[in-house]
Amino acid sequence: MIEVNELSKVYVKNNEEVIVLKDICLRIDEGEFVSVMAPSGMGKSTLLNILGCLDKPTGGTYTLDGVSVEGMDDDELSRTRNKKIGFVFQSFHLLPRMKAWENVTLPLIYSDTDSNMKEKAGAALNEVGLGDRVEHLPRELSGGQQQRVAIARALINDPRIIFADEPTGNLDSASGTEVMRIFKELHRKGRTLVLVTHDMETALQSDRIIEMRDGGIVADRTVEAPTEVTK
Amino acid sequence: MRLLGMGKQAVAALADNKSRTFLMMLGIVIGVATLTIITSSVLGARAKVMKNVGKFGFDQIAVFAGSGKKLGVFRSLDVTTLTLEDAEAMEAEIGNIREVTPQINRRNVPVKHGNLSSYATLVCANPNWSSVWQTRAARGRFISDEDVSRLARVAVIGETMVEDLFAGRDPVGEQILINNLPFKVIGILEKRGTSPAGVDMDGRILIPLSTGQKRVFNIDHLGMIKVALKDPAKMDATVGDVAALLRERHRIQAGTEDDFTIVTPTQAMTMASKISSSFTLFLVLVSAVSLIVGAIVIANIMFIGVNERRAEIGIRRAVGAKKQDILIQFLIESLMVAVGGGIIGVVTGLLGLKGLSFFMKFPSALMWQPIVLALFCAILVGLLAGIQPARKAAGMNPVEALK
Repeated sequence: MIEVNELSKVYVKNNEEVIVLKDICLRIDEGEFVSVMAPSGMGKSTLLNILGCLDKPTGGTYTLDGVSVEGMDDDELSRTRNKKIGFVFQSFHLLPRMKAWENVTLPLIYSDTDSNMKEKAGAALNEVGLGDRVEHLPRELSGGQQQRVAIARALINDPRIIFADEPTGNLDSASGTEVMRIFKELHRKGRTLVLVTHDMETALQSDRIIEMRDGGIVADRTVEAPTEVTK
Repeated sequence: MRLLGMGKQAVAALADNKSRTFLMMLGIVIGVATLTIITSSVLGARAKVMKNVGKFGFDQIAVFAGSGKKLGVFRSLDVTTLTLEDAEAMEAEIGNIREVTPQINRRNVPVKHGNLSSYATLVCANPNWSSVWQTRAARGRFISDEDVSRLARVAVIGETMVEDLFAGRDPVGEQILINNLPFKVIGILEKRGTSPAGVDMDGRILIPLSTGQKRVFNIDHLGMIKVALKDPAKMDATVGDVAALLRERHRIQAGTEDDFTIVTPTQAMTMASKISSSFTLFLVLVSAVSLIVGAIVIANIMFIGVNERRAEIGIRRAVGAKKQDILIQFLIESLMVAVGGGIIGVVTGLLGLKGLSFFMKFPSALMWQPIVLALFCAILVGLLAGIQPARKAAGMNPVEALK
């Protein structure tokens, strides 16, 4: 699914090189549920952005779903994000003036899917347990509900992989638990999930934990018995 | 479909901040409103002039007796040089002439019927006057060749005369006195209204040219000759031919002034054009300035909007919007603002025109050209104002935008 070789990312800031990622080698297979763990500022978001085709590496190779990503131009990257990738952000990133279902349809606008947008959005919202919140505006929803709308948006184009950047970071524990329960459910249905977190408890719910420090991977281990989400 | 979707998004974005959208529109509204007023009034004035010249005839020229004749200004009959023979010579010798109608015009001729009296514009002409001036007898009949050869005392009178002398009753067959001479009314002229020079065209009375010359004025010369051309494209050459012929016939020495004046439709048009050019210039300036200011306002507010909506741009990019999609979305927004402002501006302009014409005599016409022009300008402004903010939005790094 994902194959990364000697990936690096270097910024030039005030004529000084800042190395954010160096020599990352990583392989994630289809159906895996992976957590990337690191303290803040250790390059995990940058890695996620590169894996999510939002950012470009400065070195190394990246193959997603059998296709090499480094050579892609901006339009191809956009198309890849649209068709193969779903994003879930820490701060939800919903458009405040749009209703829940309209937020969910956003990726459809850019994928030339013209029929039954609302129906599809309704189905996606149902999947995250918000079938009765279709017409609500984000501000009328709780944080956990907003994040579930964001998950529905990430699912709408049936992507190959979902990237979540601290998805429970802005939520209380009950809402966080609900979001994680949805992720586990998606995983059970066979989705590939990559989750960035700095919280060990959250990470322990996935199958595999990759630990990063100073732009490099320091540990990569399988979780023998992932924590089940208790309702 | 993608465009439709993005159009809906643009509407939602604009509806989200109505007061801002209104401010963005304001400059365009003022610019387009003034533009509508200008173009409508200029075109209106031109259409009016063209209509008047149309009456004058695009394929016709007029030859007046005496030099320095001005259109619409009647002169006395003391210039004796222009004659019927001149008219006949023109028709015979100049190839491009289709028809000539010699005539004598006289204003303020006293007319009477019973105890009612008035003053008429007396036109002495031949039967072909009717076709050259495109004015027929609405009732009764027009002057005939027989009337001309018999020096018949017959008259075709205008509607104003029917009002003044017969109080609206049917005058055909009745007798009237023109210059104290009895004439029989044989017909009524088609209604023509007021000429550009302010002459009541329905105050005319037509009598045969021969009758006018011999019985009314006792003269042999003419006041003017109306000349209809075969090919109006060769007007300049024909004007030259006519002038040369008349100078030769009147034995005018080289270097001496003409004793006649030739008026062409172009001259008539210039003379009849009355819209004040400084007023137009002022309005053009107002409209141009407000359109430019409108464009600057739109561009500025769009820039602010792009900055405020970084997160939105980032989200859209993250879910698969291409740079071009973002560019188009913001362009659609500025275009909608401009076109919306344009439509409101056109309506305001048309209402303004109605208001203006209420307070003063204002030549205007409801035409599609000014509306199309105004909307075109609005679209142009929208595109020009929107392109830079839209490019900025499209060029944003999605990772930065999402921070």
